[in-house]
Amino acid sequence: MAEIRWETDFDAALAKARKSGKPVFQDFWFDG
Amino acid sequence: MNTGPYSDEKVQKFLEEQFIPLRSQCFWDKPTGPMQRFGITWTPTFLILDADGKEHHRFVGYVPADDLFANLGLGKAKAFFDSGRMAEAMAQFQTVIDRHPNAGAAPEAVFLLGVAGYKHTQDPKELRRAYETLKAKYPQSEWARRADPYSAIPL
Repeated sequence: MAEIRWETDFDAALAKARKSGKPVFQDFWFDG
Repeated sequence: MNTGPYSDEKVQKFLEEQFIPLRSQCFWDKPTGPMQRFGITWTPTFLILDADGKEHHRFVGYVPADDLFANLGLGKAKAFFDSGRMAEAMAQFQTVIDRHPNAGAAPEAVFLLGVAGYKHTQDPKELRRAYETLKAKYPQSEWARRADPYSAIPL
């Protein structure tokens, strides 16, 4: 089964988006 | 970490192929930079951003896979729309409508397809067609009411 490789650093995600041309899907979550 | 809709292999594949997936943990007693930047007050909150960090779509609360797919597609379409790439936006809105006609995001996709079509062609009939589709398929939706002024446009 494929796993989602989550980025957790905001700026790193934007850098990946610039490089790939893909948009960012950001999930704000709470562990509670 | 991949629970709920994320446990669906199709969702995993779609997110990996079409997006940069980013997870941001929230702490209510000490809000993080991203929480403050986007005014996050409840979880889960989902955003579609471009490479400059500009928000194009937001939805709040857990959604089943079909609604998640529809919102992801709608977010992509709105990113094209907001940057003036109307032909690509139209194709993406149409994909949402065709693949997820029963999703909550579908009526918004119909409305914005009409607007993108009008912006792309300067033909106001695109707005009237959106109205007709909304009245026929989603008559109870807010988007049908928003399209009501377009009923006066002659076909």
